[in-house]
Formats: sequence, structure tokens, C-alpha cells
Amino acid sequence: MGLVLLALAVFVFYLTRGLLPPVDAMSQFINPKMNDAAKLGLAQVLGVATSSCPSYAAFTAQQPGCVVPLWGQFWGWFNNVLTGNWGYSQLPGITPGTITTWQAFSERFPYTAELAISGTLLTIILAVPLGIVSATHANKLPDHLSRIVSLAGYSIPQFWFGYVLQIVFVLYISLNGTGILPSNGILPTTCGICLGNPGTITSYTGLPILDSILSGNIPYFWDTLVGLALPTITLALTTIGALTRILRSSMVDALHQDYVLLARAKGLRERVVIYRHALRNALLPAVTIAGLILAFLFGGVVVVEYVFSWPGVGAASVAASTALDINFLELYVLVTALILVVANLGVDILYAKLDPRIRY
Amino acid sequence: MRYGLKLLRRNPLVLAGAVLAIGSVVLALLSGILVSSSASATNPSLPRLCWNNPLFNWGIQGVNNCSGRVFPLGSDYYGRDLLSMIILAIPLDLQVSLEIVASAVIIGVFFGSVAAYAGGLIDELILRITDIFLAVPGILLAIVLMTVLGRTIPNLTIAVLITWWPLYVRLIRSQVLSEKEKPYVEALQALGASRPRILFRHIVPNSIYPLLVQATLDIGSVILTFATLVFLGFAPSPIIPELGNLANQGIDHIATAPWLMIFPGLTILLISLGFNLLGDGLRDIFDPRLRR
Repeated sequence: MGLVLLALAVFVFYLTRGLLPPVDAMSQFINPKMNDAAKLGLAQVLGVATSSCPSYAAFTAQQPGCVVPLWGQFWGWFNNVLTGNWGYSQLPGITPGTITTWQAFSERFPYTAELAISGTLLTIILAVPLGIVSATHANKLPDHLSRIVSLAGYSIPQFWFGYVLQIVFVLYISLNGTGILPSNGILPTTCGICLGNPGTITSYTGLPILDSILSGNIPYFWDTLVGLALPTITLALTTIGALTRILRSSMVDALHQDYVLLARAKGLRERVVIYRHALRNALLPAVTIAGLILAFLFGGVVVVEYVFSWPGVGAASVAASTALDINFLELYVLVTALILVVANLGVDILYAKLDPRIRY
Repeated sequence: MRYGLKLLRRNPLVLAGAVLAIGSVVLALLSGILVSSSASATNPSLPRLCWNNPLFNWGIQGVNNCSGRVFPLGSDYYGRDLLSMIILAIPLDLQVSLEIVASAVIIGVFFGSVAAYAGGLIDELILRITDIFLAVPGILLAIVLMTVLGRTIPNLTIAVLITWWPLYVRLIRSQVLSEKEKPYVEALQALGASRPRILFRHIVPNSIYPLLVQATLDIGSVILTFATLVFLGFAPSPIIPELGNLANQGIDHIATAPWLMIFPGLTILLISLGFNLLGDGLRDIFDPRLRR
């Protein structure tokens, strides 16, 4: 799996560096206060310019023998990145050369994590009952309704649903003169059911919702929860279908098994049959999907963050793309892939826990 | 086939999906007749962001009325009729989506079937390459691609295509793996048929049905992804009639002209839902295991 990460790093590096002029590619590492000699020195240290290159101007003009071939550039970049040097952030609103890409990424990441986790939780909360009901009422009205919800989730443009929620809850349903729910922001100040001005919290984990509980600041917790509402609903609707359909089909399978027949023959109540016998066996494939949904949302929240002006890495990646902040994107891609790898591992471990037949 | 038609009649959702999907294709084909292409021209004197359809009232203060002209779905930021813009946008979205899905299917079928049939090192290599692409959400990979590619429609098509083909490789590979063990393959080998002939003339046609169902489902999803990328600003120009582009204009005017967000998005939803319902129904028809 580590090999996949390395291959991904090489792929993204070759793609971006191969298509951009070398000056663009290394501009992130340059402090604007440097003079040309220092810039050339840095380019040589980074492994982009050759040691025989006479001047910085010759490097920017890409004179022959001045620019290191791509594989050499990758080696220089890789060494820097491994030691934590991702260069300076080029995101809009940041003075060049003041904040490193790593800082810019790590201060945004908790917000994305919070959104991804809450989206996954809501997906599970909604999809599990929906999957059970559509399996126990297979091919009847509840099943058809859940199929429509799932398919609608696949088909709804995330950005559109986010804005429609905003139009409804911010524009049309109002309380105390403003919209009932806030349209954006990690800590909304104006909305119908927000408390506003909830004080401050100590940062333990970086996740505002967790920190507010740990700090014992209940108004802060409430306001962050309210701010999370619309983005979370938007995320959950678009991921609910996959989980519901998987759970339905494995549940239908489980309900046709002999042990369910036996449980019914024993005279167990239907509830016990469904929840203790069928569901526990049907949950296995659903656990896989839930783990993958969580991992996927870390990279897939881009649109929702953009729509709700969420201060996370997803919305920043769109800005990073415009600002040619390549290292930010590469960092995001690698972190997302790493989370997916770890989630796969976690799902495997959980599997063994849930199913005693599986031994590693 | 007759059984399929029966299923289609019995399941109103599939029928609705077929109507939506075929309807959008017909609308795309007729769009040149319904709307003249000059409708997309911009002109500063046109009434911007106005609404004069008496059938619906948005309940918003200070909505511009359209100074006498008739706009059934309001006008956009450049004063153009939103309905005409949507009708002009559908062919572009559908065409791009079909191009992407068709290319992804061809690439996927080639590499997937070769991987499964050749096995060994080639199989391992192709699988690991798809691993790289599947380790990152498609939209993120497409954003990275669009960073270095210029912002044009063909480049957007390439970006989405690059994120899409590995799914088909996986799908056709698993089909071919089970198909190549069947007796008829052995019979063909005994008859002396060449390996490429066995693979592309016999195994692939027999294992392509699940892929076609998935492709139908994906036409909708690809439109969604493409429109989303355009919405995020990866379009060559803000005035191109494209559904995501039209919705993008609405961001800054969400409180004063919500129709600019609602109707283009609704169109994407309906087209995508149509192909998804149709694909879901096709799966029931082609997959005998699901006939209960």
C-alpha cells in the first residue's frame, strides 16, 4: 500500500512538473525577499537547477543544461517533502513567503475532518434504518421509497442541493428576523437559532465541536453544531444511497438464511430475529462501505466546503488550483490516499472483531 | 426481450427514467431548432436577473421585472433567457458525458480484458495502475489535472475521463476472469483460434452486459461531475451555456435571483436521475439473479 502512495506522489509530481515551467514549480519555495543569486542557490538545493547553471535568469529562460531532468527534480522534491519542507503557501489572502504549505494545510484540516466525520455519522444514522426497512419490506412501498431516496442521492448535484438548502433555510424560513440556519461558517454569528457570541474555547484537538465539549462551553458547542447542520445534510444525502443499497441486499440475503428460519421457528419475536440474528450478519459489507465513505469524504468534501464557505482544505484546494499552489494539492492528494489506506486497514480489523470466523 | 418490456411496464420508475433519459437526448437533438444560437449572445442593454413569470412569485423584495419581455424561467446575469440557455446547454453536457463514458468503456474494456486474460505480471501492473487512480476521489484528481491543463472543454473532458476509466477496468476484469474458465473458451483453443481472437471476438462480447448497465448509470454521474467542475470555476469562460456554468452565475445572486441556481441544477438532476433510473432498471432486466 505504501507503494501506491509513492506511485501516486510520482504520478502527480510528473503530471504537474512536466506540464508547468520549472519556475512555476519552484516558486513556492522562494521567499520574495531573496535576490537572484539566492534564488538560484535555492533552485540548486531543491534540485531543479543544475549546479553548472550560470545565473537565475538563465534558469528561468530554461537554457539548455540549466534545468534538471524530471526524475532528478522528483528526487530533490521528495527529499524536501520527507523532511517536512512543503514550501510556502500560495493560497489567496496569504502574503507570499509567510506561511508554509504545511501550516496552511494543517490549520484547515481539522475543519474538513469535522465535516467528513459528521457527514459519515449522519449517513450511518439515516442509512441503517432505511436499509433495514427496505429489506424487511422488500419490493413493497417502503422499499421503493428508499430506492428513490438512494437514486436521488446519486443524481443530485451536491452544489445544487447545498444552495437549495441555503435558499430554503436562510432565505425563506426565518426566526427572529434572520434565516433559521446559517449558510456558512464554522461559528455562525447570525442565524435564527444561534446564540451568537458564545465566548472562546481551548484548542485540544483542533476539532471545534470536540474542543467545545472538552472546554465545557455549551453555547459554543450549540453554535458549531448549528453551523454543521446544512453541510452535513448535503454530504449525507449524496452518500446515503451506497450504504442503504448494500445494507438492503445483504439484509435480504441474511433474512433468507436457515438460521433466521430457525430463529423464527423457535418463536423468537420478529424484532429479535431482525436485529440480533439477521442484522449482525448483514452489517459486515455495510461496515466496509461506511469505512470507505469516511475515507472518501476527506477528499470528497470539496464541493460542500466550497458551497458553504467552509474553512477546510477542500474549498482551499479549489483556490490552490487557481493560484498554482501545487504542493498544497499534492499534500491533499497524498493525505486523502493515506486516509483511504488506513481506513481499509481499520475496516479489516473491525471485520475480525465483528465476525469471529475471520482470523488473520 | 419481451420479459424486459414486461418488467418495464410493471415498474413505473424505470419507465419514468427512460422517458427522462430519452427526452433529454431528443431535447438535445432538437435544441438547434428550438433555440437560435444567437440567444447566447450577451448584450449590456438586456434586462439582467429579472423575473416576470406570473405563475410563481419568489416572495423576494426588489426583483427586477423584465421591462416587457417574456422570460418563462427568468433571465440570467447577462440578460439572456434562462430557459433558452438551459436548452442550449443540454447538448453540450450530454455530448461531453457520452464522449467520456464511451472512451472510458473502450479503454476499460481493452485494459481490463487484457489484464484478466493475460494474467500474471501484466494483470498485476494494470491493477496497480488503477489502484493509483482509485486511491483519490475523482473530483480531487480532476482538480489537480485542471491545475496544469488549460481551462478548456476538451481538457475538462480529459480530466474526467482520466478519473473514470479505472472503474471499468476493474469491472470488465472480474467478468472476464469468470468467463475465461468456461468450456467454450477451451473449445475455441482446441479449434486453434488465436488468443486475441478468443478474447475480443468471444469473451468480451459475452462479458460486456454488466459494463453497459454501469455505463448507462454513469452517463448521469459523469454529467454531474462535469457540471460540478465547471461550477467550481474550471470553465473556459463564464458565458458558455453549460448547466454548471449557468448555476455558477447564481452564487453571487442567491438571495436576489434564486432561479439562476435552481433551474440549471434541477435540469442536471432530472437528466442524471433519468439515466440512473434507466440503468437501475436495465440491471434488473439483464441480471437474472435479481428476478424475484
